Amino acid sequence: MIKKKISIAMALMLVVLSACSQSEGNKVNTPSSSTEEETTHQTDESEQPSDPFGKYSETITLTYGKAVDPSDKSLPAGDTPEKNQYSRHILDNLNVDTKVIWQAASGTNYDQKVNLAISSSDLPDALVVKDTQLRKMVKSGQLEDLTDIFDKYASPAMKNFMAKTNGQSDKSVTFDGKMYAIPSIQVQSDGVHEMWIRKDWLDKLGLTPPKTIEELEKVAAAFVEQDPDGNGKKDTIGIAGQQNGGRLYTNFLESTNNTFGLDPIFGAFKSYPGFWLENESGDPVYGSILPETKEALGKLRDLYAKGLIDKEIGIRKSAYEPVTGGKAGIFFAPWWMGYGPLPDAIKNDPSANWQAYLLPLDADGQFNSRMGAPSTSFVVVRKGYEHPEAVIKMLNLLVRDEAKFDISVPVGYYPLRVPMSYTDESEYSAKALKEVLAGTKKPEDFTDPGYKLLAADIQNVKKVKKEPYDNMDIQHWDPQADTGTWSRIYSLLVGSSPLEQNYNKVYSVLYSQTKTMESRWSNLKKLEDETFMKIIMGAAPLDQFDKFVSDWKKQGGDKITEEVKAYNQ
Amino acid sequence: MRNTGFTKHYYIMLLPGFIWLLLINIIPMFGIVIAFEDFNPGKGFFHSEWIGLENFEYMFSLNDTAVIFSNTLTIAVMKIAGNLIVPLIFAIMLNELRFAVMKRWIQTVVYLPHFLSWVILSGILLDIFSYTGPVNTLLKLFDIDPVLFFARADLFPFIVVGSDVWKEFGFNTIIYLAALTGINPSLYEAASIDGAARLRRIWHVTLPGLRTTIVLLAVLSLGNVLNAGFDQIFNLYNPMLYSTGDIIDTWVYREGLLNMQYGLATAVGLLKSVISFVLIVVSYALASKFANYRIF
Repeated sequence: MIKKKISIAMALMLVVLSACSQSEGNKVNTPSSSTEEETTHQTDESEQPSDPFGKYSETITLTYGKAVDPSDKSLPAGDTPEKNQYSRHILDNLNVDTKVIWQAASGTNYDQKVNLAISSSDLPDALVVKDTQLRKMVKSGQLEDLTDIFDKYASPAMKNFMAKTNGQSDKSVTFDGKMYAIPSIQVQSDGVHEMWIRKDWLDKLGLTPPKTIEELEKVAAAFVEQDPDGNGKKDTIGIAGQQNGGRLYTNFLESTNNTFGLDPIFGAFKSYPGFWLENESGDPVYGSILPETKEALGKLRDLYAKGLIDKEIGIRKSAYEPVTGGKAGIFFAPWWMGYGPLPDAIKNDPSANWQAYLLPLDADGQFNSRMGAPSTSFVVVRKGYEHPEAVIKMLNLLVRDEAKFDISVPVGYYPLRVPMSYTDESEYSAKALKEVLAGTKKPEDFTDPGYKLLAADIQNVKKVKKEPYDNMDIQHWDPQADTGTWSRIYSLLVGSSPLEQNYNKVYSVLYSQTKTMESRWSNLKKLEDETFMKIIMGAAPLDQFDKFVSDWKKQGGDKITEEVKAYNQ
Repeated sequence: MRNTGFTKHYYIMLLPGFIWLLLINIIPMFGIVIAFEDFNPGKGFFHSEWIGLENFEYMFSLNDTAVIFSNTLTIAVMKIAGNLIVPLIFAIMLNELRFAVMKRWIQTVVYLPHFLSWVILSGILLDIFSYTGPVNTLLKLFDIDPVLFFARADLFPFIVVGSDVWKEFGFNTIIYLAALTGINPSLYEAASIDGAARLRRIWHVTLPGLRTTIVLLAVLSLGNVLNAGFDQIFNLYNPMLYSTGDIIDTWVYREGLLNMQYGLATAVGLLKSVISFVLIVVSYALASKFANYRIF
């Protein structure tokens, strides 16, 4: 009898418990539904016509999904990715209260979260998305048409940036004549991959920066064989490679910011895998299936077999490690390495003198660089959001005030932040800084406010750059003075300066997906990634390339090429 | 009548679990309609264009499909075999140990890895088998050239199966140990009086005593023939290993979540579920026939 009573009591408890948890669930739900009501109440609030920085008379709410860098620890105590100096700036200036609905680590995690939001049609008011996601959302009718609103509210500065891309940015967000997103406008230097090399190692071994592939091989061999770090062990890497999940080279869909890929080596063979090129007759061809790519792969395979490329290319968990640990001598990446990994590298070894060059050159003595799309991320607004112009105002504000922000907290915490600037900002700024340092020009000579960070850069440059001003070696810098400033100025003076030279810019004829690609591309790409890595690492013969080409064509490549052709006409 | 009154509270206790099952497992099943649609998230399940079997036709036209099904099958079957045999041998060995304290201590230690998630374990594995990791250092002592384990598609399934068995054998041992306690000690005594040595006793007493358990476990694991372990492989693989390491679940993840090919990914997932369902029905029939195992 007692047993029975106890078990009944337990059963009752379970029921009570589950009821409790249910009511808790209800509680969680209530606030969000009430905010929805609030926002709908405010719809009819009329406002002053089209002031790009107009402040709302009553606080409006904007929800969004946020990509965060989980390793970042710059937020002061009490601040969160949702509430920080940037969100307060927006609240103070525009009276827009930004709310983070969900957050995810930037990169794949964030992309997945966005994909889930799209597939479930459970969207926040605004989001930053990629090209493929933008297309999906447009096709699904999930987005607000921004054509008129952008025209009315975008600040002149923002329209200027757009104008400088020769219509490329417009094209990327226009579908059937309607504008569905605000594109990022990135510096073109994000897509140019340079050779970063340990100049102190070169000096120690009596070498010069390698100009050709042959010289590159010699230098890499010296870095591997001759113990440049002087620890008595043969533990150095000639050429560093991408990490697991990284890219061997950029491609037309992800055309910028490929750290540790090998793009310039392909470029030296006039090979541009992953890009859509034009052949002699003007028809589009896919760069990965051309004979030049086979030649480049053959060379890479050879370099790998000789141990000159990182043995763990594509497998390593973090490609940063060998660079920050002082084990790698050469890597390929864009101009902004001063932001990372170099700060850690010089922290570990203050003499690590990383310099950037537009090398190696091709057989004709030219540096060939693939160029990125000017717009790779897009701010979109959910269909039916009551204040779509608020998003544009927020971006206006970002463009206007970016130079004034205290960047000890990265500007990535600005809600819905996408990069916006003139496409030549980094080269232009580097040149300006050098002219000011040399005394040939004065700070007042640079008046275009569109180069929004330049005034601050000029003011700060002497904090971190020591004399002589024309020598960029690491001993003539003072990174400790202000690490944030050092990151920017070093990236500009060392990373962007080489881009003032003439070099061959190669654009992809297409930077987005065609219809068949939606279903076929991931398999073709898998085929490509797998084959190329196997060839380089010696797990498949070089002639596997020919089979790859025929497979690629058969499995949809030919059809896609036709579509690209049609798209281009 | 009295009996029904007595069992009612069991059903009440079952209720939360059942509601959970309904919400998490049963209701989402309606999502399989996506497999037959050109799914458009803006239009939802009910208004997306119905394309019948087109997703399935496309699936079978892909060279990948055969590869991922065969990879899944190979890895899963090896795992099932490993997870049946290794714990069995280990349980018998443990059973022969005479020091009770040591026995318990070993038992506890070997099942600890079961509680670690693959996210952590795969990080450790990647380090252990890395180019400069302990395994390669060991190989060097024997003058063997270092092996780049995670670039070797031929070795990958064995690393996957080996590490999975290592992780789970301790836990699976428990079932056998429980079965071993059910064997009548007088059988051992009789055997030793008849002059049977240790190995003979294992062969003639222990193994026959475990036969039903072995058959039952083997038959029940049939339902897992297409589960090769997503979280393990996802955390370990890279493009070099696709040819032997890409399984149905990782493929569906890439297609569905990363490339937004909802229809195609659902079609493949559905095919997997259908095959698994058939296997479970078969395994249940076999289990009830050979091991007298019944759910209802």
